[in-house]
Amino acid sequence: MTRSGLQRVFVLGAQLLVVAVLLGLWQAAAPLGWVDPDTLPPFSAVLDTLWQMLHDRSFLQDIEITGVEVLVAFIVMVPTGLLIGFVIGENRPLYRTLRGPLDLLMAMPKALFLPLFIFVFGIGFAEKVLFSLTLGIFVVILAGIAAVHSIPQGLINAARSMGATKAQIYTRIYLPGMIPLLLNSVRVGLIFTIFGVLVAEMYVSTHGLGRMIFDAGEAYHLRDMLAGVLLIAVISIALSEMLRRFERLIRTRRASFS
Amino acid sequence: MNQAVRTDILTVRGVSKIFGADRGSVAALSDVNFSVRRQQFVTIVGPSGCGKSTLMQILGGLASASCGEVLLNGEKIAAPRPDHIAAVFQEPWLLPWKSAQENVEFPLSLKGVAVAERRARAAAQLELVGLAHAATRLPHELSGGMRQRVAIARALVQEPDLLLMDEPFAALDEQTRTKMGNELLRIWEHSRRTIVFITHGLTEAIYLADVILVMAARPGRIVERIEVPLPRPRSIDMIGSEVFGQLRNRIWQLIGDSP
Repeated sequence: MTRSGLQRVFVLGAQLLVVAVLLGLWQAAAPLGWVDPDTLPPFSAVLDTLWQMLHDRSFLQDIEITGVEVLVAFIVMVPTGLLIGFVIGENRPLYRTLRGPLDLLMAMPKALFLPLFIFVFGIGFAEKVLFSLTLGIFVVILAGIAAVHSIPQGLINAARSMGATKAQIYTRIYLPGMIPLLLNSVRVGLIFTIFGVLVAEMYVSTHGLGRMIFDAGEAYHLRDMLAGVLLIAVISIALSEMLRRFERLIRTRRASFS
Repeated sequence: MNQAVRTDILTVRGVSKIFGADRGSVAALSDVNFSVRRQQFVTIVGPSGCGKSTLMQILGGLASASCGEVLLNGEKIAAPRPDHIAAVFQEPWLLPWKSAQENVEFPLSLKGVAVAERRARAAAQLELVGLAHAATRLPHELSGGMRQRVAIARALVQEPDLLLMDEPFAALDEQTRTKMGNELLRIWEHSRRTIVFITHGLTEAIYLADVILVMAARPGRIVERIEVPLPRPRSIDMIGSEVFGQLRNRIWQLIGDSP
Protein backbone atom coordinates (compact mmCIF):
# COMPACT_ATOMS: atom_id res chain seq x y z
CA MET A 1 0.00 0.00 0.00
CA THR A 2 1.24 3.47 -0.80
CA ARG A 3 1.95 5.98 1.91
CA SER A 4 -1.04 8.16 1.05
CA GLY A 5 -3.19 5.02 0.95
CA LEU A 6 -2.08 4.12 4.45
CA GLN A 7 -2.76 7.67 5.57
CA ARG A 8 -6.27 7.48 4.17
CA VAL A 9 -6.99 4.25 6.02
CA PHE A 10 -5.68 5.81 9.21
CA VAL A 11 -7.87 8.92 8.83
CA LEU A 12 -10.94 6.79 8.05
CA GLY A 13 -10.25 4.68 11.14
CA ALA A 14 -9.94 7.78 13.31
CA GLN A 15 -13.21 9.15 11.91
CA LEU A 16 -15.03 5.91 12.65
CA LEU A 17 -13.57 5.95 16.14
CA VAL A 18 -14.94 9.45 16.81
CA VAL A 19 -18.41 8.38 15.64
CA ALA A 20 -18.20 5.20 17.76
CA VAL A 21 -17.19 7.16 20.86
CA LEU A 22 -20.04 9.65 20.41
CA LEU A 23 -22.60 6.88 19.92
CA GLY A 24 -21.11 5.03 22.89
CA LEU A 25 -21.50 8.11 25.10
CA TRP A 26 -25.08 8.47 23.93
CA GLN A 27 -25.74 4.80 24.62
CA ALA A 28 -24.17 4.88 28.09
CA ALA A 29 -25.49 8.26 29.26
CA ALA A 30 -28.87 7.06 30.56
CA PRO A 31 -27.84 3.67 32.07
CA LEU A 32 -24.98 5.38 33.90
CA GLY A 33 -27.41 7.89 35.31
CA TRP A 34 -25.89 10.96 33.64
CA VAL A 35 -29.23 11.89 32.10
CA ASP A 36 -32.86 10.99 32.56
CA PRO A 37 -33.70 8.10 30.16
CA ASP A 38 -36.94 9.95 29.25
CA THR A 39 -34.90 12.92 28.08
CA LEU A 40 -32.24 11.00 26.25
CA PRO A 41 -33.16 7.37 25.61
CA PRO A 42 -30.15 5.17 24.76
CA PHE A 43 -29.05 4.93 21.15
CA SER A 44 -30.14 1.29 20.89
CA ALA A 45 -33.64 2.15 22.10
CA VAL A 46 -33.96 4.93 19.53
CA LEU A 47 -32.69 2.59 16.83
CA ASP A 48 -35.24 0.03 17.91
CA THR A 49 -38.03 2.62 17.77
CA LEU A 50 -36.89 3.72 14.31
CA TRP A 51 -36.98 0.13 13.13
CA GLN A 52 -40.54 -0.27 14.38
CA MET A 53 -41.59 3.05 12.88
CA LEU A 54 -40.25 2.01 9.51
CA HIS A 55 -42.96 -0.64 9.53
CA ASP A 56 -45.62 1.95 10.27
CA ARG A 57 -47.58 3.05 7.23
CA SER A 58 -48.23 6.62 8.39
CA PHE A 59 -44.52 7.17 9.09
CA LEU A 60 -43.61 5.92 5.62
CA GLN A 61 -46.18 8.34 4.27
CA ASP A 62 -44.51 11.18 6.18
CA ILE A 63 -41.17 10.19 4.66
CA GLU A 64 -42.69 10.14 1.21
CA ILE A 65 -44.34 13.54 1.57
CA THR A 66 -41.18 15.19 2.86
CA GLY A 67 -39.03 13.40 0.29
CA VAL A 68 -41.16 14.51 -2.63
CA GLU A 69 -41.23 18.11 -1.40
CA VAL A 70 -37.45 18.19 -1.05
CA LEU A 71 -36.95 16.53 -4.41
CA VAL A 72 -39.26 18.89 -6.29
CA ALA A 73 -37.79 21.97 -4.60
CA PHE A 74 -34.26 20.76 -5.36
CA ILE A 75 -34.95 19.88 -8.98
CA VAL A 76 -36.56 23.25 -9.64
CA MET A 77 -34.02 25.21 -7.60
CA VAL A 78 -30.74 24.03 -9.12
CA PRO A 79 -31.32 24.84 -12.80
CA THR A 80 -33.26 28.02 -11.98
CA GLY A 81 -30.55 29.25 -9.61
CA LEU A 82 -27.78 28.38 -12.01
CA LEU A 83 -29.52 30.08 -14.91
CA ILE A 84 -30.07 33.24 -12.86
CA GLY A 85 -26.46 33.14 -11.61
CA PHE A 86 -25.22 32.55 -15.13
CA VAL A 87 -27.13 35.50 -16.58
CA ILE A 88 -26.05 37.82 -13.76
CA GLY A 89 -22.42 36.63 -13.87
CA GLU A 90 -22.20 37.05 -17.62
CA ASN A 91 -23.59 40.56 -17.61
CA ARG A 92 -21.24 43.06 -15.95
CA PRO A 93 -23.73 45.96 -15.45
CA LEU A 94 -26.38 43.57 -14.17
CA TYR A 95 -23.85 42.02 -11.81
CA ARG A 96 -22.79 45.40 -10.47
CA THR A 97 -26.42 46.40 -9.96
CA LEU A 98 -27.51 43.20 -8.22
CA ARG A 99 -24.42 42.35 -6.20
CA GLY A 100 -25.48 44.51 -3.23
CA PRO A 101 -29.13 43.40 -3.12
CA LEU A 102 -28.07 39.76 -3.47
CA ASP A 103 -25.66 39.98 -0.55
CA LEU A 104 -28.39 41.63 1.48
CA LEU A 105 -30.90 38.89 0.65
CA MET A 106 -28.25 36.29 1.36
CA ALA A 107 -27.60 37.72 4.82
CA MET A 108 -31.27 38.03 5.72
CA PRO A 109 -32.78 35.18 7.78
CA LYS A 110 -35.27 34.09 5.14
CA ALA A 111 -37.08 31.77 7.53
CA LEU A 112 -38.81 34.91 8.85
CA PHE A 113 -40.85 35.00 5.66
CA LEU A 114 -42.51 31.66 6.25
CA PRO A 115 -45.77 33.27 7.44
CA LEU A 116 -45.81 35.29 4.24
CA PHE A 117 -45.49 32.11 2.16
CA ILE A 118 -48.36 30.55 4.08
CA PHE A 119 -50.43 33.70 3.55
CA VAL A 120 -49.82 33.71 -0.21
CA PHE A 121 -49.78 30.00 -1.06
CA GLY A 122 -51.79 28.48 1.77
CA ILE A 123 -50.60 25.52 3.77
CA GLY A 124 -49.45 22.64 1.63
CA PHE A 125 -47.17 21.37 -1.07
CA ALA A 126 -46.65 24.63 -2.98
CA GLU A 127 -45.88 26.61 0.18
CA LYS A 128 -43.31 24.04 1.41
CA VAL A 129 -41.60 23.70 -1.95
CA LEU A 130 -41.45 27.42 -2.67
CA PHE A 131 -40.26 28.29 0.83
CA SER A 132 -37.42 25.78 0.83
CA LEU A 133 -36.54 26.72 -2.72
CA THR A 134 -36.25 30.34 -1.65
CA LEU A 135 -33.99 29.36 1.23
CA GLY A 136 -31.63 27.41 -1.00
CA ILE A 137 -31.58 29.28 -4.28
CA PHE A 138 -29.35 32.15 -3.19
CA VAL A 139 -26.38 29.88 -2.58
CA VAL A 140 -26.86 28.40 -6.01
CA ILE A 141 -27.20 31.82 -7.65
CA LEU A 142 -24.03 33.08 -5.97
CA ALA A 143 -22.19 29.90 -6.93
CA GLY A 144 -23.37 30.31 -10.51
CA ILE A 145 -21.98 33.85 -10.56
CA ALA A 146 -18.68 32.72 -9.01
CA ALA A 147 -18.46 29.88 -11.51
CA VAL A 148 -18.91 32.23 -14.47
CA HIS A 149 -16.28 34.55 -13.05
CA SER A 150 -13.87 31.65 -12.57
CA ILE A 151 -13.51 31.30 -16.34
CA PRO A 152 -10.56 33.49 -17.40
CA GLN A 153 -11.26 36.13 -20.04
CA GLY A 154 -8.07 35.10 -21.86
CA LEU A 155 -9.49 31.66 -22.48
CA ILE A 156 -12.66 33.16 -23.91
CA ASN A 157 -10.56 35.37 -26.18
CA ALA A 158 -8.51 32.38 -27.30
CA ALA A 159 -11.70 30.45 -28.08
CA ARG A 160 -13.11 33.41 -30.00
CA SER A 161 -9.96 33.58 -32.09
CA MET A 162 -10.47 29.90 -32.87
CA GLY A 163 -13.88 30.81 -34.22
CA ALA A 164 -16.01 29.64 -31.29
CA THR A 165 -19.57 30.94 -31.48
CA LYS A 166 -21.28 32.38 -28.40
CA ALA A 167 -23.22 29.14 -27.97
CA GLN A 168 -20.02 27.09 -28.27
CA ILE A 169 -18.32 29.24 -25.66
CA TYR A 170 -21.21 28.54 -23.28
CA THR A 171 -21.48 24.82 -23.88
CA ARG A 172 -17.85 23.89 -24.53
CA ILE A 173 -16.04 26.17 -22.08
CA TYR A 174 -18.32 27.72 -19.45
CA LEU A 175 -20.33 24.64 -18.63
CA PRO A 176 -17.54 22.05 -18.30
CA GLY A 177 -15.27 24.64 -16.67
CA MET A 178 -17.84 25.44 -14.01
CA ILE A 179 -18.86 21.91 -13.03
CA PRO A 180 -16.58 21.40 -9.98
CA LEU A 181 -17.64 24.73 -8.45
CA LEU A 182 -21.28 24.06 -9.22
CA LEU A 183 -21.42 20.63 -7.62
CA ASN A 184 -20.30 22.08 -4.33
CA SER A 185 -23.07 24.67 -4.36
CA VAL A 186 -25.60 22.04 -5.38
CA ARG A 187 -24.65 20.13 -2.24
CA VAL A 188 -25.09 23.16 0.00
CA GLY A 189 -28.34 23.96 -1.81
CA LEU A 190 -29.64 20.49 -1.06
CA ILE A 191 -28.95 20.90 2.64
CA PHE A 192 -30.81 24.23 2.62
CA THR A 193 -33.73 22.61 0.83
CA ILE A 194 -34.07 19.80 3.37
CA PHE A 195 -33.86 22.34 6.17
CA GLY A 196 -36.49 24.53 4.52
CA VAL A 197 -39.03 21.77 4.05
CA LEU A 198 -38.59 20.51 7.61
CA VAL A 199 -38.93 23.97 9.12
CA ALA A 200 -42.06 24.65 7.09
CA GLU A 201 -43.53 21.32 8.18
CA MET A 202 -42.76 21.96 11.82
CA TYR A 203 -44.33 25.39 11.65
CA VAL A 204 -47.69 24.38 10.17
CA SER A 205 -48.49 21.10 8.51
CA THR A 206 -50.59 18.00 8.82
CA HIS A 207 -48.05 15.55 7.47
CA GLY A 208 -44.35 15.10 6.86
CA LEU A 209 -41.28 14.23 8.90
CA GLY A 210 -40.94 17.72 10.31
CA ARG A 211 -44.51 17.59 11.60
CA MET A 212 -43.99 14.12 13.02
CA ILE A 213 -40.86 15.16 14.87
CA PHE A 214 -42.49 18.30 16.19
CA ASP A 215 -45.58 16.40 17.40
CA ALA A 216 -43.44 13.73 19.06
CA GLY A 217 -41.45 16.43 20.82
CA GLU A 218 -44.61 18.24 21.97
CA ALA A 219 -45.96 14.98 23.41
CA TYR A 220 -42.62 14.16 25.09
CA HIS A 221 -42.23 11.03 22.97
CA LEU A 222 -38.51 11.54 22.88
CA ARG A 223 -37.79 8.13 21.39
CA ASP A 224 -40.02 8.83 18.39
CA MET A 225 -38.61 12.30 18.01
CA LEU A 226 -35.00 11.15 18.11
CA ALA A 227 -35.78 8.30 15.72
CA GLY A 228 -37.06 10.86 13.21
CA VAL A 229 -34.03 13.10 13.76
CA LEU A 230 -31.71 10.14 13.36
CA LEU A 231 -33.34 9.13 10.09
CA ILE A 232 -33.07 12.65 8.67
CA ALA A 233 -29.46 12.97 9.79
CA VAL A 234 -28.52 9.70 8.14
CA ILE A 235 -30.29 10.56 4.88
CA SER A 236 -28.82 14.11 4.76
CA ILE A 237 -25.31 12.90 5.45
CA ALA A 238 -25.63 10.12 2.89
CA LEU A 239 -26.89 12.47 0.16
CA SER A 240 -24.30 15.12 0.95
CA GLU A 241 -21.49 12.56 0.99
CA MET A 242 -22.67 11.10 -2.30
CA LEU A 243 -22.56 14.51 -3.93
CA ARG A 244 -19.15 15.19 -2.38
CA ARG A 245 -17.78 11.92 -3.74
CA PHE A 246 -19.15 12.72 -7.15
CA GLU A 247 -17.62 16.19 -6.97
CA ARG A 248 -14.23 14.76 -6.03
CA LEU A 249 -14.42 12.24 -8.84
CA ILE A 250 -15.12 15.02 -11.32
CA ARG A 251 -12.36 17.17 -9.85
CA THR A 252 -9.72 14.49 -10.30
CA ARG A 253 -10.96 13.61 -13.75
CA ARG A 254 -10.98 17.18 -14.97
CA ALA A 255 -8.58 19.59 -13.38
CA SER A 256 -10.16 23.02 -13.17
CA PHE A 257 -8.78 26.54 -13.34
CA SER A 258 -6.40 27.30 -10.58
CA MET B 1 11.53 35.14 -55.72
CA ASN B 2 8.23 34.14 -57.25
CA GLN B 3 5.08 36.21 -57.34
CA ALA B 4 3.33 34.44 -54.47
CA VAL B 5 6.11 35.25 -52.08
CA ARG B 6 6.06 38.91 -53.03
CA THR B 7 2.37 39.48 -52.31
CA ASP B 8 1.31 41.17 -49.13
CA ILE B 9 -0.83 38.98 -46.93
CA LEU B 10 -1.51 41.61 -44.30
CA THR B 11 -1.91 45.34 -44.72
CA VAL B 12 -2.43 47.73 -41.81
CA ARG B 13 -3.53 51.20 -42.84
CA GLY B 14 -3.85 54.20 -40.56
CA VAL B 15 -4.92 52.16 -37.55
CA SER B 16 -5.58 54.11 -34.35
CA LYS B 17 -7.15 53.01 -31.15
CA ILE B 18 -8.46 55.45 -28.60
CA PHE B 19 -9.70 54.31 -25.21
CA GLY B 20 -12.19 56.46 -23.33
CA ALA B 21 -14.16 59.40 -24.70
CA ASP B 22 -13.23 63.11 -25.11
CA ARG B 23 -10.96 64.47 -22.42
CA GLY B 24 -9.06 61.83 -20.51
CA SER B 25 -8.98 59.64 -23.57
CA VAL B 26 -5.79 57.73 -24.30
CA ALA B 27 -4.43 56.97 -27.73
CA ALA B 28 -3.20 53.38 -27.37
CA LEU B 29 -2.31 53.34 -31.05
CA SER B 30 -1.77 56.25 -33.39
CA ASP B 31 -1.70 55.93 -37.18
CA VAL B 32 -0.06 52.52 -37.45
CA ASN B 33 0.88 51.51 -41.00
CA PHE B 34 2.73 48.43 -42.19
CA SER B 35 2.39 45.42 -44.39
CA VAL B 36 3.56 41.84 -44.10
CA ARG B 37 4.53 39.67 -47.06
CA ARG B 38 3.53 36.05 -47.36
CA GLN B 39 5.85 33.66 -45.47
CA GLN B 40 7.62 36.48 -43.74
CA PHE B 41 8.56 36.37 -40.08
CA VAL B 42 7.83 39.81 -38.65
CA THR B 43 8.50 40.76 -35.05
CA ILE B 44 7.00 43.78 -33.37
CA VAL B 45 9.12 45.03 -30.50
CA GLY B 46 8.48 47.84 -28.08
CA PRO B 47 8.35 48.81 -24.43
CA SER B 48 5.41 47.78 -22.27
CA GLY B 49 2.47 50.09 -22.73
CA CYS B 50 3.24 50.84 -26.38
CA GLY B 51 0.02 49.22 -27.54
CA LYS B 52 1.54 45.99 -28.86
CA SER B 53 -1.15 43.82 -27.40
CA THR B 54 -3.90 46.18 -28.51
CA LEU B 55 -2.49 45.96 -32.02
CA MET B 56 -2.50 42.19 -31.74
CA GLN B 57 -6.15 42.18 -30.67
CA ILE B 58 -7.05 44.30 -33.67
CA LEU B 59 -5.08 42.10 -36.06
CA GLY B 60 -6.83 39.05 -34.64
CA GLY B 61 -10.26 40.62 -35.03
CA LEU B 62 -10.82 40.48 -31.27
CA ALA B 63 -11.00 44.26 -30.96
CA SER B 64 -11.91 46.98 -33.43
CA ALA B 65 -9.77 49.94 -34.46
CA SER B 66 -11.04 53.44 -33.73
CA CYS B 67 -10.04 54.32 -37.26
CA GLY B 68 -8.06 52.83 -40.10
CA GLU B 69 -8.33 49.31 -41.45
CA VAL B 70 -6.65 45.92 -41.42
CA LEU B 71 -6.70 43.92 -44.65
CA LEU B 72 -6.02 40.22 -44.90
CA ASN B 73 -5.47 39.18 -48.50
CA GLY B 74 -7.17 42.44 -49.40
CA GLU B 75 -10.21 41.69 -47.26
CA LYS B 76 -11.11 43.81 -44.27
CA ILE B 77 -10.87 42.12 -40.85
CA ALA B 78 -13.76 42.94 -38.52
CA ALA B 79 -14.09 39.71 -36.56
CA PRO B 80 -11.90 36.69 -35.77
CA ARG B 81 -11.00 34.81 -38.94
CA PRO B 82 -10.27 31.25 -37.79
CA ASP B 83 -10.07 30.13 -41.41
CA HIS B 84 -7.03 32.38 -42.01
CA ILE B 85 -5.63 33.61 -38.71
CA ALA B 86 -4.60 31.68 -35.63
CA ALA B 87 -3.24 33.19 -32.44
CA VAL B 88 -0.89 32.18 -29.66
CA PHE B 89 -1.04 34.26 -26.48
CA GLN B 90 1.29 34.86 -23.56
CA GLU B 91 -0.63 32.22 -21.62
CA PRO B 92 -1.34 28.93 -23.39
CA TRP B 93 -5.05 29.05 -22.45
CA LEU B 94 -5.54 25.33 -22.74
CA LEU B 95 -8.73 23.73 -21.50
CA PRO B 96 -7.59 22.18 -18.21
CA TRP B 97 -9.92 19.19 -18.46
CA LYS B 98 -8.77 18.18 -21.93
CA SER B 99 -5.62 16.26 -22.83
CA ALA B 100 -2.91 17.80 -25.01
CA GLN B 101 -4.30 15.93 -28.01
CA GLU B 102 -7.89 17.02 -27.29
CA ASN B 103 -6.77 20.61 -26.83
CA VAL B 104 -5.14 20.61 -30.24
CA GLU B 105 -8.29 19.06 -31.71
CA PHE B 106 -10.47 21.70 -30.09
CA PRO B 107 -10.51 24.33 -32.89
CA LEU B 108 -11.24 21.59 -35.43
CA SER B 109 -14.04 20.22 -33.30
CA LEU B 110 -15.51 23.74 -33.09
CA LYS B 111 -15.59 23.75 -36.88
CA GLY B 112 -17.23 20.32 -36.97
CA VAL B 113 -14.31 18.47 -38.55
CA ALA B 114 -14.91 14.69 -38.43
CA VAL B 115 -13.33 12.85 -35.50
CA ALA B 116 -10.93 10.68 -37.52
CA GLU B 117 -9.63 13.63 -39.50
CA ARG B 118 -9.12 15.89 -36.51
CA ARG B 119 -7.36 13.10 -34.58
CA ALA B 120 -4.89 12.65 -37.40
CA ARG B 121 -4.32 16.35 -37.97
CA ALA B 122 -3.84 17.08 -34.27
CA ALA B 123 -1.48 14.14 -33.86
CA ALA B 124 0.62 15.42 -36.77
CA GLN B 125 0.94 18.87 -35.19
CA LEU B 126 1.81 17.46 -31.79
CA GLU B 127 4.50 15.45 -33.52
CA LEU B 128 5.79 18.61 -35.19
CA VAL B 129 6.13 20.43 -31.87
CA GLY B 130 7.80 17.35 -30.37
CA LEU B 131 5.01 16.34 -28.03
CA ALA B 132 3.75 13.11 -29.60
CA HIS B 133 4.73 11.30 -26.41
CA ALA B 134 2.64 13.60 -24.21
CA ALA B 135 -0.60 13.50 -26.23
CA THR B 136 -2.70 11.97 -23.46
CA ARG B 137 -1.44 14.19 -20.67
CA LEU B 138 -3.53 16.92 -19.10
CA PRO B 139 -2.20 20.51 -19.16
CA HIS B 140 -1.34 20.51 -15.44
CA GLU B 141 0.87 17.49 -16.06
CA LEU B 142 2.95 19.45 -18.59
CA SER B 143 5.70 22.01 -18.02
CA GLY B 144 5.19 25.65 -18.99
CA GLY B 145 7.21 25.23 -22.19
CA MET B 146 5.28 22.10 -23.14
CA ARG B 147 1.96 23.81 -22.54
CA GLN B 148 2.97 26.64 -24.83
CA ARG B 149 4.00 24.10 -27.47
CA VAL B 150 0.54 22.57 -27.26
CA ALA B 151 -0.87 26.07 -27.82
CA ILE B 152 1.36 26.43 -30.89
CA ALA B 153 0.23 23.05 -32.21
CA ARG B 154 -3.37 24.13 -31.62
CA ALA B 155 -2.74 27.26 -33.70
CA LEU B 156 -0.95 25.37 -36.48
CA VAL B 157 -3.66 22.73 -36.74
CA GLN B 158 -5.97 25.44 -38.02
CA GLU B 159 -3.62 25.77 -41.01
CA PRO B 160 -3.66 29.55 -40.81
CA ASP B 161 -2.21 31.82 -43.48
CA LEU B 162 -1.17 34.10 -40.68
CA LEU B 163 0.05 33.12 -37.24
CA LEU B 164 -0.21 35.85 -34.60
CA MET B 165 1.96 35.41 -31.54
CA ASP B 166 1.58 37.78 -28.59
CA GLU B 167 4.66 37.44 -26.37
CA PRO B 168 4.24 33.66 -26.41
CA PHE B 169 7.45 32.92 -24.53
CA ALA B 170 7.36 35.81 -22.06
CA ALA B 171 6.16 33.63 -19.20
CA LEU B 172 8.94 31.08 -19.70
CA ASP B 173 12.41 31.04 -18.18
CA GLU B 174 15.36 32.29 -20.23
CA GLN B 175 16.68 28.87 -21.21
CA THR B 176 13.29 27.52 -22.26
CA ARG B 177 12.62 30.77 -24.13
CA THR B 178 15.76 30.39 -26.27
CA LYS B 179 14.95 26.77 -26.94
CA MET B 180 11.40 27.61 -27.91
CA GLY B 181 12.66 30.32 -30.26
CA ASN B 182 14.74 27.78 -32.13
CA GLU B 183 11.82 25.34 -32.15
CA LEU B 184 9.59 28.02 -33.58
CA LEU B 185 12.07 28.80 -36.36
CA ARG B 186 12.30 25.11 -37.19
CA ILE B 187 8.51 24.84 -37.33
CA TRP B 188 8.25 28.02 -39.37
CA GLU B 189 10.80 26.78 -41.89
CA HIS B 190 8.88 23.52 -42.07
CA SER B 191 5.41 24.98 -42.47
CA ARG B 192 6.35 28.31 -44.12
CA ARG B 193 3.47 30.23 -42.62
CA THR B 194 3.49 33.96 -42.14
CA ILE B 195 4.19 34.93 -38.55
CA VAL B 196 3.65 38.21 -36.74
CA PHE B 197 5.38 37.89 -33.39
CA ILE B 198 5.08 40.46 -30.62
CA THR B 199 7.75 40.70 -27.95
CA HIS B 200 9.45 43.13 -25.62
CA GLY B 201 12.73 41.21 -25.82
CA LEU B 202 15.23 42.79 -28.21
CA THR B 203 17.31 39.64 -28.68
CA GLU B 204 14.25 37.56 -29.42
CA ALA B 205 12.93 40.21 -31.82
CA ILE B 206 16.16 40.22 -33.84
CA TYR B 207 16.93 36.52 -33.67
CA LEU B 208 13.58 35.41 -35.09
CA ALA B 209 12.76 38.12 -37.59
CA ASP B 210 13.05 38.90 -41.27
CA VAL B 211 11.61 42.31 -40.48
CA ILE B 212 11.41 44.13 -37.15
CA LEU B 213 8.80 46.79 -36.49
CA VAL B 214 9.93 48.97 -33.61
CA MET B 215 7.19 50.60 -31.57
CA ALA B 216 7.23 53.46 -29.11
CA ALA B 217 4.71 54.42 -26.45
CA ARG B 218 2.41 57.40 -25.79
CA PRO B 219 0.97 57.28 -28.30
CA GLY B 220 1.66 53.74 -29.46
CA ARG B 221 3.15 53.97 -32.92
CA ILE B 222 5.68 52.35 -35.23
CA VAL B 223 8.92 54.35 -35.31
CA GLU B 224 11.07 52.18 -37.54
CA ARG B 225 10.97 49.21 -39.87
CA ILE B 226 14.22 47.23 -39.91
CA GLU B 227 15.16 44.42 -42.30
CA VAL B 228 17.37 41.89 -40.51
CA PRO B 229 20.42 41.11 -42.65
CA LEU B 230 21.30 37.88 -40.83
CA PRO B 231 21.24 34.70 -42.94
CA ARG B 232 18.98 31.71 -42.31
CA PRO B 233 19.00 29.30 -40.64
CA ARG B 234 19.80 31.32 -37.53
CA SER B 235 22.10 29.95 -34.88
CA ILE B 236 22.78 30.94 -31.29
CA ASP B 237 26.32 32.25 -32.00
CA MET B 238 24.89 34.95 -34.29
CA ILE B 239 23.62 36.64 -31.15
CA GLY B 240 27.25 37.50 -30.30
CA SER B 241 28.02 38.85 -33.77
CA GLU B 242 28.74 42.49 -34.56
CA VAL B 243 25.72 42.88 -36.84
CA PHE B 244 23.48 41.59 -34.10
CA GLY B 245 25.00 43.93 -31.53
CA GLN B 246 24.58 46.97 -33.80
CA LEU B 247 20.96 46.08 -34.47
CA ARG B 248 20.29 45.74 -30.80
CA ASN B 249 21.88 49.10 -30.03
CA ARG B 250 19.87 50.76 -32.73
CA ILE B 251 16.56 49.37 -31.53
CA TRP B 252 17.49 50.24 -27.97
CA GLN B 253 18.09 53.84 -29.00
CA LEU B 254 14.83 53.99 -30.95
CA ILE B 255 12.87 52.77 -27.98
CA GLY B 256 14.82 54.89 -25.52
CA ASP B 257 14.68 58.09 -27.62
CA SER B 258 10.93 58.21 -27.91
CA PRO B 259 9.43 60.64 -25.40
